[in-house]
Amino acid sequence: MTALTAPAPARPARAAVRNRYLAGLLTARGLTGLALVGTIALAGLLAPLLTDHDPNAQGPLALAGPSADHPLGTDDLGRDLLSRVLHGITTDLALTVGAVPVGALLGCSLALLSATHRWADTAVQRVFDLVLAFPGMILALAVTAVLGPGRWPVFIVIAIAEVPLFGRQLRSGILVQREREYALAARVGGASRARVLLRHVLPNAVDPLIVQSAVALSVGVFIEGAMSFLGLGVRPPEPTLGSILSQSVGYLATHPTFAAAPLAATTALVLGFTLIAEALNRGIRR
Amino acid sequence: MRSFLLKRLPSGLIVLLLASFLVFLILRLIPGDPATTLAGPDAGPQAVAAIRTRLGLDEPLPSQYLHWLGKVLTGDLGPSYAIGGQVADLIGDGLGATLQLTAAALLLVVALALPLGVLGATARRRPVAAAVRAFTTAVLAVPPFVTGVLLVLLFAVTLGLLPAGGHESLLDAPDLALQYLLLPAVCLALPSAAVLARYLTDGIQRALAEDYVRTATAVGVSRRRIVWRHALPNALPSAVTVLGLQIGHLVAGAVLVERIFAWPGLGQLVEQGVLRRDYPVVQALLLLIVAGYVAVQLLTDLVYAWLDPRIRWE
Amino acid sequence: MTSSPDRAVLRVTDLSVAFDGTTAVDGVGFDLAAGDTLGLVGESGSGKSTTALALLHMLPAGGRITGGSVELAGQDLAALPERALRAVRGRRIAMVFQDPMSSLNPVLTVGKQLDEALRAHGGRPDRRERADRAVELLDLVGIPDAAGRLRDHPHQFSGGQRQRIMIALALANDAEVLVADEPTTALDPTVQQQILRLLTRINRETGTALVVISHDLGVIAQTCRRLLVMRHGKVVESGATAEVLTAPQHPYTKQLLAAVPRLEAPSEAAANSVPGSEPLLTVTGLRKTYGSRRRAVTALDGVDLVLHPGETLGLVGESGSGKSTLARALVQVHAPSGGEIRFRGREFGRGGERAARREVQLVFQDPYSSLNPRMTAGQIIAEPLIAHGPGDRAARDRRVAELLEQVGLDPDSADRPPRAFSGGQRQRIGIARALAPEPSVLICDEPVSALDVSVQAQVLDLLARLQRDLGLALLFIAHDLAVVRQVSHRIAVMHRGRIVETGPADRVVTAPEHPYTAELLAAVPRLETRPAVLTTRSTA
Repeated sequence: MTALTAPAPARPARAAVRNRYLAGLLTARGLTGLALVGTIALAGLLAPLLTDHDPNAQGPLALAGPSADHPLGTDDLGRDLLSRVLHGITTDLALTVGAVPVGALLGCSLALLSATHRWADTAVQRVFDLVLAFPGMILALAVTAVLGPGRWPVFIVIAIAEVPLFGRQLRSGILVQREREYALAARVGGASRARVLLRHVLPNAVDPLIVQSAVALSVGVFIEGAMSFLGLGVRPPEPTLGSILSQSVGYLATHPTFAAAPLAATTALVLGFTLIAEALNRGIRR
Repeated sequence: MRSFLLKRLPSGLIVLLLASFLVFLILRLIPGDPATTLAGPDAGPQAVAAIRTRLGLDEPLPSQYLHWLGKVLTGDLGPSYAIGGQVADLIGDGLGATLQLTAAALLLVVALALPLGVLGATARRRPVAAAVRAFTTAVLAVPPFVTGVLLVLLFAVTLGLLPAGGHESLLDAPDLALQYLLLPAVCLALPSAAVLARYLTDGIQRALAEDYVRTATAVGVSRRRIVWRHALPNALPSAVTVLGLQIGHLVAGAVLVERIFAWPGLGQLVEQGVLRRDYPVVQALLLLIVAGYVAVQLLTDLVYAWLDPRIRWE
Repeated sequence: MTSSPDRAVLRVTDLSVAFDGTTAVDGVGFDLAAGDTLGLVGESGSGKSTTALALLHMLPAGGRITGGSVELAGQDLAALPERALRAVRGRRIAMVFQDPMSSLNPVLTVGKQLDEALRAHGGRPDRRERADRAVELLDLVGIPDAAGRLRDHPHQFSGGQRQRIMIALALANDAEVLVADEPTTALDPTVQQQILRLLTRINRETGTALVVISHDLGVIAQTCRRLLVMRHGKVVESGATAEVLTAPQHPYTKQLLAAVPRLEAPSEAAANSVPGSEPLLTVTGLRKTYGSRRRAVTALDGVDLVLHPGETLGLVGESGSGKSTLARALVQVHAPSGGEIRFRGREFGRGGERAARREVQLVFQDPYSSLNPRMTAGQIIAEPLIAHGPGDRAARDRRVAELLEQVGLDPDSADRPPRAFSGGQRQRIGIARALAPEPSVLICDEPVSALDVSVQAQVLDLLARLQRDLGLALLFIAHDLAVVRQVSHRIAVMHRGRIVETGPADRVVTAPEHPYTAELLAAVPRLETRPAVLTTRSTA
């Protein structure tokens, strides 16, 4: 009656947990997303190898079509488009990959803080509400009104915009997980409040955040683009995907090739992040 | 219902108050003195000091804030520094057009998201669901200002069906006004509609997996009725929350869209205010938007409670 | 199969169902005559619920009828297209599901849901006529003030009332066959009794044939004239209920019957251990209220309780009686609002709580949700060791291996996640965790109610052995009186936040003093209570 042994399971626990993300990523959707982001990122990183042109050097040929010297043509100031797009990718990725973790970390810290006390929770929630009350472009306008246009305002806007998104997500995850019986069991077993929160509740509440990160990266690319479009972004002549796009928009009717490359790069990047987020989401839900 | 409102109102007011202080504060703490800017590069220190006194900039910050808040509450937004004229008049000029645009976009968001969301969740044939999914993904993957320009190219330049930009009063020429309104409204609505459609699809799919749908199936309710009358009402409350957040994005997006379509709303005023550091204008607009946001959130909470009886009675 | 074939309203022949290639139901067959009652009994994974869903051709995604037929009055439902099935479901064959919480639509009024069921088959085009019929139906299933409650939402009804509404929905279109899948599993015993009586009354008054699916032989014994015993998707035995229960033929049926705790069986606790005389844990006038002062909910209303070393005190009561609140107060996750708890003579708050924090441990009801899915069994068991004892990793690993062995699990399975274990094995992990800090008191909060009867018997054996070996005192909280009598020295009955009766286990069951205890006892479905069973036999 006593020695009932479990049939040997195939995998140890940790691998299995990690495998859920992997299983999500290793689908057609996930692989496409990875390939898109990977290709674009690699192209950006290898920019110095792929082109000799200075992205900011103006030439005599304005708005030229593709040629041997300029594989993607030139912009309205005669600058090489390939070089500008490649360097623009690097700037965009550096901004979003740098800013999103900052915002995520801030949001998550606030969410953890809110789990400590009822008053802290109320305060943190008002902070999230406050940030959300400045949606997207309005936040960008408020920040640039103070700091003026530039690289750091873009960074700050992307980071701040992500704070309530990550924070609320984690807070609600913690609230749900904290009521689960295993958390109660940990308390009965004598674990401290901090240990219950960090060792038991948190690892079970982070799943949605991984999906959120992929979404956040694509939002970051959008924010950069929109700020450039309004002249609030990274200062010219430094190229970003958004600034090249907003320049090209004026020539869409006459020189559609101008917009093609930056648009393709932006879309591929955002699409890639979206697909990765969806793939992860499916992997987690399974 | 009233007690529910009473519970939510204070947090909204706190956010509003915090936001007003923040809006006031950040614009005072920045490098660059508005008095110097206003006086112009050639003005002497005396002229700057005079402007400083006139604007109350030499008072301590808390009293400046209270003074400002008191004036704002009575509707006196003061003169603009750089653009010229009274801030209240400037806002009054653009507010109608922006409201018109966002309201039209909001209608479109609901009108597009509802069928798309339901279709995405229920299409038995995979190609239909895949097409809905591809559409929403594409809309979300292309930056809205590019979508706007593409719309102009297609409908105004290539097909010549609609005007590329501009505005006409709804009262004077309703048909023309609608023509002008359509493209910017669609452009503004598309991303939010895609987001909302996705949440609806997700919510309906979740609801369709619930036990009560099994119950409805077991008593013989038709599939169509199950989707629209049983599953959809359960997906609506959370969709309303998403819609509430999206209204904020519509207002923010209006800044971009107004630029593309030369729409004479508040967007250009905001842009001008920021680039020319016209603080009273920026302050007033930010405050207006935050107040609008808080009001929309309260409304969202009320609608949520109305849609979900479990909350209504608590 | 005793009924003559021409009277059969439902005839299931060689029915097989597979989920993505795995067979879940394998060649099930039975006849159901008009107005007859049939029970399907089996443990989890036996395929009984899948069979029930296959009867309405309502299998979840991935499930497919791979063979056989379900003939309803000559029409094969297994071969019918979805559109035609819709006309049959609810109209000719209807179903009642297990969980009345989730099976009613939370955002639609009860009247609206009944209206939907009534209009689904187009018989009543007039809205007012449907509303009248809805009132009639609610009346039939015993909802008081039926007309006034049409506009209420499901959450405004109690669990038992919701199940009544579910039954009203199923009856809306006068179906000939009513399939009830675990209709009372989520309900308290007294409510279960009412629902079972309702089903029996409906069968008698309206002539609706009844198929009841349950894991509980007592439920089947009370409602069904015939029964099928299922295991691994197959019918292992069938026949008249009285015959199968008194003279089971198949070894599995015998095993199942032997594992069911009988209310008539005397307590086995005295043979297991002799309680000490000095009280270990004393609770006096314990109170607990929740919520704001204006809308306070009283969960504990002056509870008095004494637990001796080596004693098992059974605590019975229905949901909402305060059992779990008491358990949580004893393990100090909730602070009581009043009264006192003493451990080894020292009051909580004056030193007693420190010793109790280590020595009073809790075993949970749900072996699925009470184990952290992100940890291995070994890590879960080691958690209390980290909190309570000094000691290095190696010492902890040794203790974990020892504990696993103690609860009958392979010490090598420490590195596996909870989901690699079966329900019973998970409960053993939960017990090992509770044993880790060497407690003197185990609070067991419904430790076996989520388990199949055969597994339940094994876990009860384990608890008895642990008490014998370690001299543990157990506060055994459960709603199943038969189980409680079997394991307890004494029984305390809890009702609305109070202990209404305490006494020796056998005395409380055989000669209850409080009317509520008597009511609880009367509600227990017994295998022997059916009048059809006339043969007297001794309980094993």
